Amino acid sequence: MSRSALKVATTEAKLLLIGIPVLIWTLLPLYHMVLFALSPRDQATTGKLWPKNPTLSNFDFVLNQKHFYLDHFWIQLWNSLLIAVSVGVLTLFVSTCAAFAISRLKVRGGRTVMNMALFTYFIPAAFLAVPMYKTMGNYGLLNSQWALILAMVTIASPYCIWVLKQASDKLPWELDEAAKMDGATAMQLFRLVYLPLMVPSLVAVGTYALLLAWNEYLYAFLLLSKDTSLTLAVALGNFLSADDSPWELLMTTGLIYAMPPAAIYYTFKRYMVSGLTAGAVKS
Amino acid sequence: MAAVSFDNIKKSFGKVKIIHGISFDISDGEFVVLVGPSGCGKSTLLRMLAGLEDISGGEISIDGQVINDLDSKDRDIAMVFQSYALYPHMTVRDNMAFSLKLRRASAAITNQRVGDAASILNLEPLLDRYPRELSGGQRQRVAMGRAIVRDPKVFLFDEPLSNLDAKLRVAMRAEIKALHQRLKTTTVYVTHDQIEAMTMADRIVVMRDGIIEQIGTPLELFDYPGNLFVAQFIGSPAMNVLEGRLRVAEGRAWVEAHGHHWPVDAWIPAEDGHSVAYGVRPTDIRVSSTGTGIPAKVIVVEPTGAETELLLEVGDARLVVVMHGRTPARPDDVIHLEVASNKAHLFDSVTGSRLGTSL
Repeated sequence: MSRSALKVATTEAKLLLIGIPVLIWTLLPLYHMVLFALSPRDQATTGKLWPKNPTLSNFDFVLNQKHFYLDHFWIQLWNSLLIAVSVGVLTLFVSTCAAFAISRLKVRGGRTVMNMALFTYFIPAAFLAVPMYKTMGNYGLLNSQWALILAMVTIASPYCIWVLKQASDKLPWELDEAAKMDGATAMQLFRLVYLPLMVPSLVAVGTYALLLAWNEYLYAFLLLSKDTSLTLAVALGNFLSADDSPWELLMTTGLIYAMPPAAIYYTFKRYMVSGLTAGAVKS
Repeated sequence: MAAVSFDNIKKSFGKVKIIHGISFDISDGEFVVLVGPSGCGKSTLLRMLAGLEDISGGEISIDGQVINDLDSKDRDIAMVFQSYALYPHMTVRDNMAFSLKLRRASAAITNQRVGDAASILNLEPLLDRYPRELSGGQRQRVAMGRAIVRDPKVFLFDEPLSNLDAKLRVAMRAEIKALHQRLKTTTVYVTHDQIEAMTMADRIVVMRDGIIEQIGTPLELFDYPGNLFVAQFIGSPAMNVLEGRLRVAEGRAWVEAHGHHWPVDAWIPAEDGHSVAYGVRPTDIRVSSTGTGIPAKVIVVEPTGAETELLLEVGDARLVVVMHGRTPARPDDVIHLEVASNKAHLFDSVTGSRLGTSL
């Protein structure tokens, strides 16, 4: 074995030495979740590595709403989806327009808006939960899913604007000028040149906002109260309100709840490629 | 096609003045090159004509119509950028058709215009490719195609060749010139490369520090540079310049510089003793075969095949001489130089402006 090959092997060994424990550490909770989901109720907490009689009956319970905690499972899953998608779309719209205006149209005060938006992150979102609750109350939006959607858009937007602005700044300026010379208005520039080139960043940002809303607990818990308007994340939390919680159903629901984000991630992963602007300008 | 007129154009960025009142006219169908060192304001001037920069003062008009307040898109101007600026997500065809699409031209017209431009530029086989799949020269041609398709009143080129390698640059230079001869569209071309300016222009505008140093045809600028800056900027290798003193006696005139007498035409409008810059082009100095003339020590011999470039030392001055053919001269040899008096250029040492024959 040559020296360089040995070096490569040593480096890989070191990386594996770090990587394998990290991987196990990450997967262990997931493994437990799967284990719970497959165990009959009386064997859920036995501490075995694999249940004696694995079963899918928990899924039957959840999907067919056979437990009173799960009475509204499907509607709550739908709520989660609706809210997450709305937040993703709205955030995308708001932050794309903002980033375009700040980065490409160079509107006056754009920098200030950016800085103020980022400043909001100095205050943890949890601290703003109660003021947000009050605000939504003022607007009469409490118990409406709009309250949660608007709150989540508010929380997600600054970061998204910032990310999109950074990405916009990297687009060659000459493209805008060329489009302008070709006769494009600002809207045409936005639609025909800017958006197509921003697709990778838009997908990344949209996914971020969507998952943020999908995973949100605190705001959803505060702003929504009717059982049929809750998101599944809050409904899952309600499992813990009883003394003997149906752990195996909680974990099964959790497992189901974790599927869409995974699916979204894998669907959009291939769009998140860089190099879409290759060939625009000589660099 | 159109005539373009700049009238006392000024530009400042904040308090920094970039262009200090420039006026000149471009006739219909003319190919004008703006040339000058970087920072001279040539690109800014072009961008003001394009509508990409505000005009701080003065008026630009196209065909008599003042365009200061018109949007770029309403000026009927097409521009080729240094970086090509092709839309990366569109095919060559879509890139070229983009402006027509924005104008809602019919499919038939679009296809015809794109087809025509593609055939002029030999782009037909590339129409369905994306910019990233093209070489530098091809991208440059697409950028030109995008401009041609518009059939604009004026073409603008902003250093379009500076990203290409030397060989391709020469080829594209000829292509752009041929294109202009074919389309006869008024063209304004910006470059810092004086050879591009010389080879392509009908007229050259030499700029420095936001003012025009001289306007003229390439050969006018070459033969009668109006000042020392133009003299040294135009021509490659650059003109030799020797600081000296003008002597006039008994109907003869010469320049005393670096211990030698340099011949000039007798009717120079300056007095004996006037301090001058004596300019002579490397190609206008002959190496004497008879051993008479001004002695010079050879420092470096650079044969390029057809010509030989000699770096020489006369007194404490350095001179470049380009001679046809080859020479047996070696470094440290002493050779003798002859300058025809009508080939000498004289400039005032203080003002730098030309003395004697001008246009």
